Amino acid sequence: MFLKLDHLKKLYDADNGVKELNFSIDKGEFVTLLGPSGCGKTTTLNLIGGFLKADSGRILLDGEDITALPPEERPISTVFQSYALFPHMNVLENVCYGLRFLRRMSKKEAIPVAMEYLSIVGLSGYEKSRVGNLSGGQQQRVALARSMATGPKILLLDEPLSNLDAGLRVKMRAELKELQQKLGITMIFVTHDQEEALCLSDRIVVMDHGDVAQIGTPREIYFHPESRYVATFVGKSNDFREGGRTVVVRPEDILLRMAPDGPYTIVEKTFMGSHTEYVVEGDGKRLEASLFGRQNSELETGARVAVEIGHSFFLNE
Amino acid sequence: MTAYEQTGTARPVRRLRYRAANLLDWVMLGLLLAGIALFILYPIVSVVSTSFFVKGQFTLQYYLDLFTKSNLKLIGNSLWVATLSSSFTTFFAFCIALYAFCSKEKTRRLLQNGLLLTMISPPFVSALAFILLFGRRGIITYGLLGLSVNPYGWHGIVILQTIGNISFATLLLLASFDTVDLKQVLASRDLGANPWQTLWHVVIPLVRPGLLSVIFTLFTMNLADFGTPIVIGGRYKVLATEAYLQVISTANLGKASAISVLMVPTAVVAFYFYRKTLSQSGSLAEGSKSFSGSGYEFELPRSIRCLLLSVVGLFFTVMALKYGNILLSTVSNTATGHIQFTTKYFHDLPRSQMSSYWRSIRYAVLSGVAASFLGILLSYYTHRRRLPGMKGVEFIASLPYIIPGTFFGLGYVAAFSHEPFLLRGTGLIIICNYTFRQISVANKSANAAFSAIDEKLEAAAQDLGASRMEVFFGVILPLLKSTFLTCFITVFTSSMTSVGAIAFLISPGKNVASMELFQSIENGRYGVAAVQAVMIIAVTLGINLFSMYLLNRGRKNQKGGNGRVPEAGSSQEAV
Repeated sequence: MFLKLDHLKKLYDADNGVKELNFSIDKGEFVTLLGPSGCGKTTTLNLIGGFLKADSGRILLDGEDITALPPEERPISTVFQSYALFPHMNVLENVCYGLRFLRRMSKKEAIPVAMEYLSIVGLSGYEKSRVGNLSGGQQQRVALARSMATGPKILLLDEPLSNLDAGLRVKMRAELKELQQKLGITMIFVTHDQEEALCLSDRIVVMDHGDVAQIGTPREIYFHPESRYVATFVGKSNDFREGGRTVVVRPEDILLRMAPDGPYTIVEKTFMGSHTEYVVEGDGKRLEASLFGRQNSELETGARVAVEIGHSFFLNE
Repeated sequence: MTAYEQTGTARPVRRLRYRAANLLDWVMLGLLLAGIALFILYPIVSVVSTSFFVKGQFTLQYYLDLFTKSNLKLIGNSLWVATLSSSFTTFFAFCIALYAFCSKEKTRRLLQNGLLLTMISPPFVSALAFILLFGRRGIITYGLLGLSVNPYGWHGIVILQTIGNISFATLLLLASFDTVDLKQVLASRDLGANPWQTLWHVVIPLVRPGLLSVIFTLFTMNLADFGTPIVIGGRYKVLATEAYLQVISTANLGKASAISVLMVPTAVVAFYFYRKTLSQSGSLAEGSKSFSGSGYEFELPRSIRCLLLSVVGLFFTVMALKYGNILLSTVSNTATGHIQFTTKYFHDLPRSQMSSYWRSIRYAVLSGVAASFLGILLSYYTHRRRLPGMKGVEFIASLPYIIPGTFFGLGYVAAFSHEPFLLRGTGLIIICNYTFRQISVANKSANAAFSAIDEKLEAAAQDLGASRMEVFFGVILPLLKSTFLTCFITVFTSSMTSVGAIAFLISPGKNVASMELFQSIENGRYGVAAVQAVMIIAVTLGINLFSMYLLNRGRKNQKGGNGRVPEAGSSQEAV
């Protein structure tokens, strides 16, 4: 147990903030805080970073209580959504900043270290550039290098990919994962993008209205969601009552078979290329199904079909 | 289902309507350009040429004359006083702005409103209060302490100029602090710098252009300020007083013009840094917020906080003292060192007072409306229609905002005292001066407002058949209602209270309230001056409060609408 949040609470008003957080993170883990806007994920990150003061509760890092420490005294560094690079300094000066203040290096000592981190993020040669002249992806890398150079025990990332365009986002995502595995830094990543969360994380903390809804590996979260909220927020899902319990089925776990006397009728069809999304009705249910492959794209609306459910699970209620 | 009807091409009547609209469009543009050329460009050119030509002959005589021994003394005095006052003002303003920056939303709002209120001050009210409180027969120096202090001299000028410009400078600096991205401050702390180091390495470098802009603006204003030295300088003379006296007493325009031209370089420097601040705020990453209301904390060391708080306290104490004293002085006589109540001053008001007063209000309303309308129009043609060359016109329109007020006033004297535009002595010249000096204030607010309104809106209106003028009057102006109102308040307030440019333009029978006040102080009729000051404050405050009420109501009605209300650009006018 490397980082432990213990009954951590910070409320702005009854609905905003975090109510009571309890979870811990292991060394070297990549943990994502996932949830819609207003769920408290950024507040959590700011509490860990020390930018906000908790109403109550404790934060323990490596056995030390850091709840009362100001940000400059915490061995934690944040990469901000807007990067927060200093516009009056060049790239090298930005990266040196933390080395000088946090690691108490002289300017001379700081420069080689900063250069090394710039080369790690692939920005060698940009030392003297003004940060305003860099592209979004490059600014992102400077922010990463600046934070990592301080040698933090934990790196916090606040939706760092959200300001990049789609292609670059996927590329940076891969680089980030590679970097984390190479350096073994413990990272806490905040996002509202489930795809990012699923592909990057060792574990995901799904948040809802200031509470933790579920903690688990990406596979656990996806295949065994504990609540309807988690089931619907991460991936699409159908749910219906059966035998007094709620059954949840992912659209891709449903198969449709042509059957002239089948109990379901196709009411909507959307062709998506790699897969086709169908909505079928019948038996008092309305189900969404996505079917892959060319053959499965040939069913027509109005056709009667039989439904086969591959994998389903019950919600704990 | 209703039938879908195709309208086909526009009918002749409708075409006529578009043509009329286009014509009106050209007329409006033409009037705007002519106005700017005649009432901004021409006066400025006139001052410069007056300083270089004597009876059509080019000469450097006026400039050489400035460097005689007695004048060098004046120049030295001016630089000494202006340097001191601008430095002090900037220091105090920085303290107050920094305090606001570190404060919670509520405190910040309160401070800002307080500063706005103290901006509503006729000229020399500080001087008046200072003399009444600390003068030879001052309530405090003589009445309480039994001293007879001579308040006149350079220290008096420095004290008054310092105090007089603090609100204005603080408001400018606050705008500069607003450009500091909160996340950058957090990042600095995250990287190991404590609040004090963050202040030095991140916050101050980021507001430095703003600070420099303020200090040079103040320097220009103080250099051009002739009123304060006349009132409180005693025998201490500065360059600006000399220029003023040259025009008023000897009608020597050449020398006064040369003095004014000399003040332009500092104004240009101020403008350069001002632009730099603006471009910085333009390139700011999204999500920048001030500390207020975010829940983040930025606590400076205790000793610094105490210093800042005491500056804030001191400033507002001085302001309370100033306004309180003026109010008291309208109904009391303190000449003996004791307070005696009297209604004498109301009877002693000059006979022309009421007519000047109403004339002032009339002129201020007219120029408020005109400047707001023209400023929005200028913005529209420059940034919406993007007509070629309009950026240059916009720059010319901003010149009166850059150059010292006295320069602009002199320009009017030089330009409109003779044919072909003999306007001196009319009321029109005063209205035009108020209007065109403030156009760029409205222009800047309108620019900000335009950038917040989707351009597609106009395209949609045109697409739906509205003519250009219908788009302007039916879509744009209604959306800019609040901008119009804020500009109107700014221009109205400044017109009611300014003296700088107007001093050269008034004529018998066309006096205005702020000049009546100035003349009363000049003649030592302090009680009467207090009454006049209170009258000006009352109407200006009334109009301000009423407009704020209208604005707030409007904001409530269109919450979440398209017309985001940008704050009025505080006027950077030089005295």
